[in-house]
Amino acid sequence: MANLLWLQGGACSGNTMSFLNAEEPSACDLVTDFGINVLWHPSLGLELGENLQKMLLALTSGQMPLDIFVFEGTVVNAPNGTGEWNRFAGRPMRDWVTDLCKVANFVVAVGDCATWGGIPATAPNPTESEGLQFLKRDHGGYLGKDFKSKAGLPVINIPGCPAHPDWITQIVVAVATGRGGELSLDEFQRPKTFFTSFTQTGCTRNMHFAYKVSATEFGQRKGCLFYDLGCRGPMTHSPCNRILWNRQSSKTRAGMPCMGCTEPEFPFFDLAPGTVFKTQTVMGVPKDMPTGVDKTGYIKLTAAAKAASPRWAEEDIFVV
Amino acid sequence: MNSEQQNATLRKMAQLMRDGLKTQTEPFPETEKEFAAILEELRRLDPGDLEGKMVISGFVDHPYGPDRQRCMECMYYLVHRQWCDLPELAVPVEADWWCRLWRI
Repeated sequence: MANLLWLQGGACSGNTMSFLNAEEPSACDLVTDFGINVLWHPSLGLELGENLQKMLLALTSGQMPLDIFVFEGTVVNAPNGTGEWNRFAGRPMRDWVTDLCKVANFVVAVGDCATWGGIPATAPNPTESEGLQFLKRDHGGYLGKDFKSKAGLPVINIPGCPAHPDWITQIVVAVATGRGGELSLDEFQRPKTFFTSFTQTGCTRNMHFAYKVSATEFGQRKGCLFYDLGCRGPMTHSPCNRILWNRQSSKTRAGMPCMGCTEPEFPFFDLAPGTVFKTQTVMGVPKDMPTGVDKTGYIKLTAAAKAASPRWAEEDIFVV
Repeated sequence: MNSEQQNATLRKMAQLMRDGLKTQTEPFPETEKEFAAILEELRRLDPGDLEGKMVISGFVDHPYGPDRQRCMECMYYLVHRQWCDLPELAVPVEADWWCRLWRI
């Protein structure tokens, strides 16, 4: 039996909603099939008031073991580094986070806010928010870059806005069943099993990407969303087109550009007007290239691809 | 636009440029901000105002600049349809033409 505690800091509950929609395995499977004891969760916990406080104190004192501490949302430090803007069970949430991270075998940050600060940490960051071990791309965050949980791992980051339900439950199961030590993490402490390939991997518009045919308006079923509509699929690490959402689809499959929400800089360009749903260019060339491609190579590739593009690439091939 | 209308429009555009139509090739929009401003100007035009579109977007009937940029490599160009798919323009074009809304 592995004890799991889930708390929320500066959050919209989006990752909780995502978690509750998990299918493989589901949130119920965690309890019935994998022996996870969900001590408390903002949407599922039964304890209130003093009872909850007692349980948290039992955990922080070591009376009750804490195997997995899941945190959703930012660590709120405002005002003036006190954390008083986000109080929970009688004290600033950040103080609970400090104490719980000391006793937890594994610490899992779920969603962009808990991993890198996400939208709340966007400039001017009035809540003085930060992620557990990162603030955007800067390693450190609330716990500091040297933090390791009792099991010897840094915070396991499962980013996304929200994270896909099954990324959450599959990592929790891996940890709860003693396979946490086998997790291989990338430079941003994301499990490589999910965050090595790109959002573009498996995208149904890849043929249009290859032949440089652009979607120029929403609703078009032909064309790639990268060239004009700001899609970040070619430079975002996520399996969104391999592990589909609701087992059905993905943003790009539905004609919605990837917004790069599993990367530390999300939301990109600080949401400045004109930067969302529009590919940012400098003198007509994309500011952000597909990962690993340089400007010269990109221009050469475009010329070759355009010259080779077949007629069908300009048409809607998804005819029902 | 059917193919006959498309050919007629293409011929008309070519003729206008041969006759010396002065278009705004400069300044080239450095970022999205300037690009968006040109699009805004285009949106204010009557969709049928072909000459107005050509002037604002800076059409020329040859490759342009030191890099010899041309429609052929532009992301809005549909090679087989010989068509500019930028919604604010939506006109037939030749591969060797260029305008300042060029993006790759």
